[in-house]
Amino acid sequence: MGTINSALSLTTGALDADQAALSVVANNVANANTTGYTEETPDWQENAPISVGGIQVGDGVTETGATSRRDRVLEERLDQQQQLASASSTRLTALDNIQALFTPDSGSSSSTAGDIGSDIASFFDSFSSLESDPTDNALREQVLSSASTLAGDISSAANSLNSQSTALDQEASGVVSQVNSLTGALAQLNLEIQSTSPNADAGTLEDQRQQDLSQLSQLIGINQVQTENNGLSVTTTSGQLLVSEGQSFQLTTGTVNGVTHFFLGGTDITSQLSTGGGELGGYLTARDVDIPGALSSLDQLAYSISTSVNAQNNSGTDLDGVAGTAANPLYIFNEPTVVAGSAANMSVIMTNLKQIAAAGAGDGTGDNSNAVAMANLANEPLAGPTTSFSLTQNLDSATPVNGTTTGNVEVYDTLGNSYQATVTYTQEGANTWGYSVALPASAFTSGVSTPVTGTMTFNGAGNLIQIQPAGEANPETVGTATGDVSSIPLGFTGLADGAANLNIGWNLLAANGTSIVNQTAAASAQSGQSQNGFAGNQTPINYYSNFVSTLGATVSEVQTENTAQTASVTQLQTQNSALSSVNLNDEAAAMSTLESSYQAASQVFTLLNTIMASVLNLGEETTVS
Amino acid sequence: MRLANPELKELVVEASHALARLDSSRLEELALSCQALTRARNTEDLGERTLLAQQAREAVADMAVFARVLEATRANLGVMKRLRELRAGQLEYTERQARGGAEGGNGDD
Repeated sequence: MGTINSALSLTTGALDADQAALSVVANNVANANTTGYTEETPDWQENAPISVGGIQVGDGVTETGATSRRDRVLEERLDQQQQLASASSTRLTALDNIQALFTPDSGSSSSTAGDIGSDIASFFDSFSSLESDPTDNALREQVLSSASTLAGDISSAANSLNSQSTALDQEASGVVSQVNSLTGALAQLNLEIQSTSPNADAGTLEDQRQQDLSQLSQLIGINQVQTENNGLSVTTTSGQLLVSEGQSFQLTTGTVNGVTHFFLGGTDITSQLSTGGGELGGYLTARDVDIPGALSSLDQLAYSISTSVNAQNNSGTDLDGVAGTAANPLYIFNEPTVVAGSAANMSVIMTNLKQIAAAGAGDGTGDNSNAVAMANLANEPLAGPTTSFSLTQNLDSATPVNGTTTGNVEVYDTLGNSYQATVTYTQEGANTWGYSVALPASAFTSGVSTPVTGTMTFNGAGNLIQIQPAGEANPETVGTATGDVSSIPLGFTGLADGAANLNIGWNLLAANGTSIVNQTAAASAQSGQSQNGFAGNQTPINYYSNFVSTLGATVSEVQTENTAQTASVTQLQTQNSALSSVNLNDEAAAMSTLESSYQAASQVFTLLNTIMASVLNLGEETTVS
Repeated sequence: MRLANPELKELVVEASHALARLDSSRLEELALSCQALTRARNTEDLGERTLLAQQAREAVADMAVFARVLEATRANLGVMKRLRELRAGQLEYTERQARGGAEGGNGDD
């Protein structure tokens, strides 16, 4: 019913509302310096109309609470940019540490791991010096000394990389407890917000939640999903649930192949986290991509130098007139059998100066032809000779006697030249096959190919159980027990390109010890092959130089990313500050600043781009619209 | 402050920083410096042109950074514009809602 009291009530209601609004303003001022505090604006609700003398009049407004001036879109954008910046910053720190290993200190020619580029040059130069007097012990000493320096610096670099990987692994593990703590807190805040403020802004609780989200996004890449009643779910960037409203899901860790892996609900999500962002993404990218990449390059360098130098030295004659053999090789370096780990294990094993085989095969001890060949390795493309290969092959048990089938694999010599090795299997009788491994006749100086032959025996189940290389008195058992053999030795000499003799082990077993050459009642077929040789197109020094350059380019690229992402975060924080925090600037002014800055910067960029394209004669100018 | 003898690299780095800070005034000053460089580019003096080319080569990496910051700014601007549109839409909806409510309350029926 409309009365004068009702009319007064209109006025007092408005005054009350003003008073409530003043309280909100006072709260804003009091919290102006509170981190993460978001300015609140009063909410006004229209009161029900009042009838005065039969006329409906408005009943003014009532202050119903306060809504924080936050904007989730902007905050999410800020969180996303923060997690990217955090990832690139963490990765950049790790990359700087990697690069420092290969960068000489200021005013010094040596880095932490020495100067591997100079070491390579000095090592091959020592053979050039030896050419002048192959019997000189001082020159021989210099060869072993420079070999030791080279091996020591490469293995030191590899060991430092492994140490850095271990440190990153520990850092990454340490992030997990922080993530779990934050996701637990977020779940609790969700419960409180959903309980106390399901349909309105929850003020300080939401500020706390936003702060936790911000911290979480610096640690790990996340996506945020709004749910009913002001709730929030958080997933990793690849979609695994971390928080579902009031429930959090804990990350756990476990060791896989010596490194820490990360699990959520029993699923290994390490690779997803690696690309997801945040500190964890940065640590994992450095640990799983950057360091393995650097190690792989060093391994290839160490493997190639070790095997090619060993092979060349072994093909010559030492100062005692002794020629190297497979049984008593004249190796300078520890001979690697696989590429992986070659750098860390690189060392000089030769202790007798006389074993440096400066003379060519069959030449007198004063000859220098093999020293010349070893010095020339500095100019040969980096290559890794094949030392082992595997063929996964089925031999049809129904093949008639003298029936044949073949298998093929490409192999590499010490100079990086490749040949198609052909394995011919000939059915000789029940469960017995002959094998013959041959390289093309053109591979040999003689123009004649001499195959390596023998026989294989299979059991009733079709598994290879015995081999008997030609010339051997007795068959050998294939297996993993003591005294068993797992490969067939193959040797090829007299290669036409001057490469060292090829000594290859033909692997017959898979990693689990089962035979990979089998005889079953199915069509003969080769279903797989692998070998460990490689050919490059760069000399050792160029290879190392390119490795360092590539590493530098990666550092520069990540630095660029990080600078841009950090700048983006700064801009967004400015915008967020204007929008959400206690600030005299209003949103329109903030937006205007962003827009005018972008336009001015675009002009500067266009002018600079025009100038640079012109003076560098680049032809086409890059445009940024 | 206008750079007296603008070095290209210095100018590009400063532009990236100014853009990160959203310092539009500084960016406009840098645009003036760019115009000075444009005049240097047009000079017939071979030595000056060679010097500018050298500076350009040294500034290439920083220019890439500037381009990335500009891209990030454009993305941020896009977000803010979408945000404004979103709010405008919400406001429109609220006003319509309010009008609808007022009509009912005023006894049209």
